[in-house]
Amino acid sequence: MGFKEKYYEYQRPILGMVSVVGLVILWELVFTYLIPLNPFFFTKPSLIAAAFTEHIIRGSLWSDLVISSRAFISGFSLAIIVGIPIGAVMGWRRRVEYTLDPFLTALYASPLVALAPLLIVVLGVGLVAKVVLVFLLSVFPFIFNTAAGVRATDRLLINVVRSFGGREKDLYLKVIFPSTLPYIVAGARIAIGRGIVGILVGEFYAASEGIGFAISRFGDTYMLPEMFSAILVLMIVAVALTEGLRKLEVVLAPWRVGQEAR
Amino acid sequence: MNTLVSVYREREQTILGGGFILLLILAWEFIPSLVSLPRGLSLFFTTPLTVVQTFYQLVVENKIQSHFYISAIEFAVGLAMAIAVGLPLGLVMGRSRTVDAMLDPFVTAFNATPRLIFLPLFILWLGIGIWSKIVIVFIGALFPLLINTYEGVKNVDRVLVNVVRSFGANEWQVMKVVVLPNSVPYIIVGLRLAIGRALLGVVVGEFFGASKGLGYMIASAATNYKADVVFVGVAIFMGLALLLTLPVKKIESKLTRWRPETAKTF
Repeated sequence: MGFKEKYYEYQRPILGMVSVVGLVILWELVFTYLIPLNPFFFTKPSLIAAAFTEHIIRGSLWSDLVISSRAFISGFSLAIIVGIPIGAVMGWRRRVEYTLDPFLTALYASPLVALAPLLIVVLGVGLVAKVVLVFLLSVFPFIFNTAAGVRATDRLLINVVRSFGGREKDLYLKVIFPSTLPYIVAGARIAIGRGIVGILVGEFYAASEGIGFAISRFGDTYMLPEMFSAILVLMIVAVALTEGLRKLEVVLAPWRVGQEAR
Repeated sequence: MNTLVSVYREREQTILGGGFILLLILAWEFIPSLVSLPRGLSLFFTTPLTVVQTFYQLVVENKIQSHFYISAIEFAVGLAMAIAVGLPLGLVMGRSRTVDAMLDPFVTAFNATPRLIFLPLFILWLGIGIWSKIVIVFIGALFPLLINTYEGVKNVDRVLVNVVRSFGANEWQVMKVVVLPNSVPYIIVGLRLAIGRALLGVVVGEFFGASKGLGYMIASAATNYKADVVFVGVAIFMGLALLLTLPVKKIESKLTRWRPETAKTF
């Protein structure tokens, strides 16, 4: 009786665990007993786990991760510094929005990643090209989300502050910024995925270090367990960042949950 | 004079937006004649006029059509596969709590990670031909479609479902009468996002280990310092992206006029 109720309470996480663990066990068993494993073509969980622990012990992937995150953080910070002010002005001033919106929308909608080869040829293989690429891809969610947030600020609140003689500074800090913040966090969540795309493309295309380079090198040399464990590392990082921001969104603006399609 | 002002007032949005783009293009065109660029940079520099001329030439010499054709096939097949898998799976996940709970860890993990990360793996498995690109387009476009369909099904009014059920409808009829029509706006959002991801997949997939396609054309032009050809490719992708997503966006805003405003996503 008590057991069954407990199960219903935790049904979701239990079923999720069951399917993940079940898949891993099935994968392992199939390639241990049913189909002979061709190590140049596929791999199995036990080999991936071995490669994963070796990576962690030797710390070889660590340096790649540091290299990539340096480029990522620089580009991403630049996107925040540039994107939020532009978005704020666009949301606040109608004429600025009219002027910039078509141009920026066109850039946002198109796969700017197509510029990657040229950027790398011009700026060289290394940090700068990757930073520019991450910036180019991740700046737009910040611009458009900040603008939407500023526009969505409750007019009534603005009028109240003005009526009670609040200064412009109060208006910005006490009304507009807090109501825009959840939008910015939502933008950051979208921007993270795009920024990682920038890192990956930059490093797949031409690099001598970094997590993207590690993955493509392992692929080229048929080191599949190593490749899968590198992919796993990046997946863990991406999930941690995205879900962390989603949690932050819920904390900042619980009323907005579920309003926006991913 | 007054009529001029009123015409401007009426079309302020178009004039300002279009004017800004025009201004940028003109500035880009005349930069090289106004300031002398350093030799290193002038090697990679091109102007809009040259890009248009190069585009015309490539079309006349029949050099771009085969690239375009390959890219179009990859895009269409990958996107069609994503729709064929994503919609039914999203519907099932939205209707069945068990399936939802079992697939959720995978969907969350794969959606958070750019699927581009699997490109080296697909190249290893499927070779450098068209199939590795189709699969990368497919897996890129799959998740926006799947998740938005799911979201749509989840947001269906429970009262409506219960009413139809009370009148004796089975699961299939509930789906047809209530769930599907209510999910359409969400599915359209998913479709728009999927188009963007699919284009991204085509571009990047062809950067690596390809011998045909617009992405390949861009990558090989860049290594040969042909900036004009790079921009022809970039412009084609931009044009396609706008051509394919803006009509969908129009339908979307018609269908979701009642929903609160959210920021743009691509």
